[in-house]
Amino acid sequence: MISISSTRVPLIPPEDIPLEDKKENEFGQLTSEEYLYQSKSRDGKALQDPILDAPAYHVSLITYLNYLILIILGHIHDFLGLTFQKEKHKDIMEQDGLAPWFSTFESFYVRRLKQRIDDCFSRPTTGVPGRFIRCLDRVSHNLNDYFTYPGTTSMCLNLSSYNYLGFAQSEGQCTTAALEATDKYGVYSGGPRTRIGTTDLHVMTEKYVAQFVGKEDAILFSMGYGTNANFFNSFLDSKCLVISDSLNHTSIRTGVRLSGAAVKTFKHNDMRALEKLIREQIVQGQSKTHRPWKKIIICVEGLYSMEGTMANLPKLVELKKKYKCYLFVDEAHSIGAMGPSGRGVCDFFGIPCSDIDIMMGTLTKSFGAAGGYIAADKWIIDRFRLDLTTPHYGEPTPAPVLAQIASSLKTITGDINPGEGQERLQRIAFNARYLRLALQRLGFIVYGIADSPVIPMLLYAPSKMPAFSRMMLQRKIAVVVVAYPATPLIESRVRFCVSAALTKEDIDYLLQHINEVGDKLFLKVSSGKAGGSLDGKPPRWNIDEVIKRTPTDCKDDSFFRI
Amino acid sequence: MIDSVNVPEVLPSSIPVPSAVISSASYLWFYFITFFKLIPGAHYVIDYVEKSHQDDPYRTFVEVLLILYSIVYFLSKPKKKGAVDQPKLSEKEIDNLIEEWEPEPIVVPDERNEWRLAKIPVIEGSGADNVINITRDNGKEAYASAFNLCSFNFLQLSKHPRVVEIAKEIIKNYGVGSCGPAGFYGNEDVHYNLEYDLASFFGTENSVLYGQDFCVSSSVIPAFTKRGDVIVADDKISVSSQNALQLSRSTVYYYKHNDMASLENLLHELDEAEKKEKLPAIPRKFIVTEGIFHRTGEIAPLPELVQLKRKYKYRLFIDETFSIGVLGATGRGLTEYYNINRATSIDITVGSLATAIGSSGGFVLGDNVMVRHQRIGSNAYCFSASLPPYAVRTASTVLQMMDEDNSSVTKLRYLSNKLHEWFQTDTELLRYIEVTSHRDSSVLHFQLTDAQRQQKFGSSIESVFQESQYQQQHCISDHFVESWEKEEIFLQAIVDTVLIDGNILISRDTIVLKQETLPVTPNISICCNSSMEESQLLDAYNVIRIAIIKHCSEA
Ligand SMILES: Cc1ncc(COP(=O)(O)O)c(C=O)c1O
Repeated sequence: MISISSTRVPLIPPEDIPLEDKKENEFGQLTSEEYLYQSKSRDGKALQDPILDAPAYHVSLITYLNYLILIILGHIHDFLGLTFQKEKHKDIMEQDGLAPWFSTFESFYVRRLKQRIDDCFSRPTTGVPGRFIRCLDRVSHNLNDYFTYPGTTSMCLNLSSYNYLGFAQSEGQCTTAALEATDKYGVYSGGPRTRIGTTDLHVMTEKYVAQFVGKEDAILFSMGYGTNANFFNSFLDSKCLVISDSLNHTSIRTGVRLSGAAVKTFKHNDMRALEKLIREQIVQGQSKTHRPWKKIIICVEGLYSMEGTMANLPKLVELKKKYKCYLFVDEAHSIGAMGPSGRGVCDFFGIPCSDIDIMMGTLTKSFGAAGGYIAADKWIIDRFRLDLTTPHYGEPTPAPVLAQIASSLKTITGDINPGEGQERLQRIAFNARYLRLALQRLGFIVYGIADSPVIPMLLYAPSKMPAFSRMMLQRKIAVVVVAYPATPLIESRVRFCVSAALTKEDIDYLLQHINEVGDKLFLKVSSGKAGGSLDGKPPRWNIDEVIKRTPTDCKDDSFFRI
Repeated sequence: MIDSVNVPEVLPSSIPVPSAVISSASYLWFYFITFFKLIPGAHYVIDYVEKSHQDDPYRTFVEVLLILYSIVYFLSKPKKKGAVDQPKLSEKEIDNLIEEWEPEPIVVPDERNEWRLAKIPVIEGSGADNVINITRDNGKEAYASAFNLCSFNFLQLSKHPRVVEIAKEIIKNYGVGSCGPAGFYGNEDVHYNLEYDLASFFGTENSVLYGQDFCVSSSVIPAFTKRGDVIVADDKISVSSQNALQLSRSTVYYYKHNDMASLENLLHELDEAEKKEKLPAIPRKFIVTEGIFHRTGEIAPLPELVQLKRKYKYRLFIDETFSIGVLGATGRGLTEYYNINRATSIDITVGSLATAIGSSGGFVLGDNVMVRHQRIGSNAYCFSASLPPYAVRTASTVLQMMDEDNSSVTKLRYLSNKLHEWFQTDTELLRYIEVTSHRDSSVLHFQLTDAQRQQKFGSSIESVFQESQYQQQHCISDHFVESWEKEEIFLQAIVDTVLIDGNILISRDTIVLKQETLPVTPNISICCNSSMEESQLLDAYNVIRIAIIKHCSEA
């Protein structure tokens, strides 16, 4: 072991523990058949309008004050720094005729606000990001200016990784498949897809993915972000219109910008606003010439990763058909994680896949692999194979990743280890519902729909973010906190990503600590109108009561707004 | 009661106005005044109006007009510009318009270029091997044990058993995916260590990893540029840099490919223009070019670029996707090739882990300040999961092997030189083709000579570009340039002959014309790698040569 502290992240040797323990650390054994929940298809039923709980006024007021103080302090800091400590602020000053890399104003938020809590981000880890994640210990110096690493690690309960179905494992059929692929194909493919990068493994995996999502054909990419960012320019131009949900992922926005298409956004999940916008746009046409748009494409995400909300697919399909628009759904977080058989939004809502024109998704999340896919009818995919840039200029998906994708898909569908896939799906459904209802009963404000494995819990004041994150780390729980600009200014939150790898007891442990920390940080501010309350009063259940009653209650739809 | 009040005479009696109008107007006026006087302070207003009216009756008139005008002005303001001349449509009319609207299909199929699909080789096994089994056209054609001259895995180090063992070891301990973006527990110890390894191998302060090579440039440049910044770029940069410039929001200028006089002129002009403008702050300025050009295989003249960037205060951005691992005695790229210090000459280096290094992903090299900003400002870094740990460790191991032993780099250079020498001294071949790549490039690019192109297809690079650009600007959905297509089909015929007659796989450079915003030429590229034998390459050269001559001398 490394004895002296280093400013560099050390390479940590694997833990020397028995195989059984290792497996258990990556994917906890199911402790009781009771802790499963088979989610049901909605048979085409649209979602109700969500009820958003808002905290009392004083919470918002304190949050604004909190920002105000941080900003004023930051400006004083900047002023003093730029006057007296020129050496330290070289990065925001002109230097021998070169403009600074970034302006003082633009970087203010990062330098003066984010840096204060940098110890809550980019925590180095090692090993498998499964049920537990091994975080490297680090010591912050000079207000997070730099860190030192003593070389020790802490095993933390993992509520942070996008490991929805628990396929982040280094044991089992997927690992075996990945290892075999490494032997047979090596770690590298040769060059772009249309040149030399297409192997039989690509063709096969694309077939599986297409089958799984219910489309005729699919095309794979080595990066999910890149899939979107270099997608829209292949079929859109400035005479086309993209109607985009206001909370769409950056990759979609970048891709659309690159295509040059006109963009209009509608308020997140507001279907009335969407319909109004479509009508207006068909009538008005292109902005200057008022000629009709060549085509209109509606872009939404299946499951929104910061909100836990879902696209209201039945309504979207109805609108898209009525107005002859096309529908693009990014299933980055919903594929694998949602629906009775894990096939994403269509499965969840019980809507035929043919109603979505283009289904995009990433393989980074539920499948424990990497990359993204685009699935559609064969004639459309054939065109994309010719017109997309990535297959011509970029690298292909490497073989071990393909093997991981194929084997995890087959596990979900039951082609390998029948029953295992079903168990994983039922576990994540149970875990998600249990944690959500329990948090609501304890009095926290959480966003999103009942079955979402992404559970954002509101913290509001920015200073509660680092407090929460650090206190949880002390309790050996790894969580992700997010704030502006990823969320609205006052809605700082912690995001729990539930995994099938967690056991019910893990969630009990988590709840006990959230309960304790929540009391200390005054986070229990819900009014109960969005759920958790039985009598209409603000719910503030006792933790023992929650743990006793919620596991059975959470299977009952009447406790949720469905 | 009314009699006792002095009803003002609002209208002259001479105009014949119905008395009802006069009396109702008078009543209105009366009640208005009565109520108005009830408002506290109203008498000041009335006094003022009366007094000014006494002084100058026209003034009241003008003031009333002014007030009316300002009311009209304020009421009209909230209307949006576009909506001003928008006729008000009834719901029915809107429904009709919607009914009438016929959108284009989501993509427009076009048989004229679909032949390409059937030409994509599907490899059984790894495309990085020298001898491969391939099928094409849905399995209709099959070729066993073809010699592979297409792979970008130039050094072949990632096929070394030592590397494969490490990759497997990592999969056994880390799994495959990293399941999270860098900011949220996705960067593992191995990722940090590859960043250290890259920085120390290339002699820069720091480095950043990205999930895919093609996304790097288009994420890095826009992270630093905004409106008003200036980018001066070579006019033969590849699509990934073209995308970057398009997303950069900056003002982009192009200089003639690798022409330093053209660059200097441009920089000088821009400098003069800037001096005249007296901007409040100097804008960020970048020169964007490539180490070995993706498209042509030429090498950028780094010493001159560095001199110019210093003289005119620019930052230098170089895409070294094809030069890292290839140029320089130990494969450290363009800077080693010219014997220049990377840290003080190139501000942003972009490289690929998927070419010579033979793993996957991309990276950026540079100083701490730049790197730190990327970790929060670069979209493809912040909003994407980090690379699979095994790919990262593989790259670290390859770097270590390159450091220990440069024999594969040396061998690669030897073979590249040989290959170029054969082609470039073949006078018969040179009647038809032009080899554009530099002899040290491990990819040999050749294209038809201008005369051949003119003779065979009646086109030139410019004419193709103009036509393509016209169609792009007019948003033609089925973008298609006939002479380009014919030339590509012609080159594909050469590729096919080489494959059928010699069982050797070479490839057209894969180009999507409708995505190119700069002039581009169809060309064929031949890649060598360090595990090939000279004799094998020589045999291949002979087959290719015969195929070229056969096709070019026809007709
Ligand atoms: C909606 C959405 N699309 C795309 C991506 C990018 O995927 P990847 O991490 O595989 O690059 C993400 C990841 O966070 C996402 O949330």
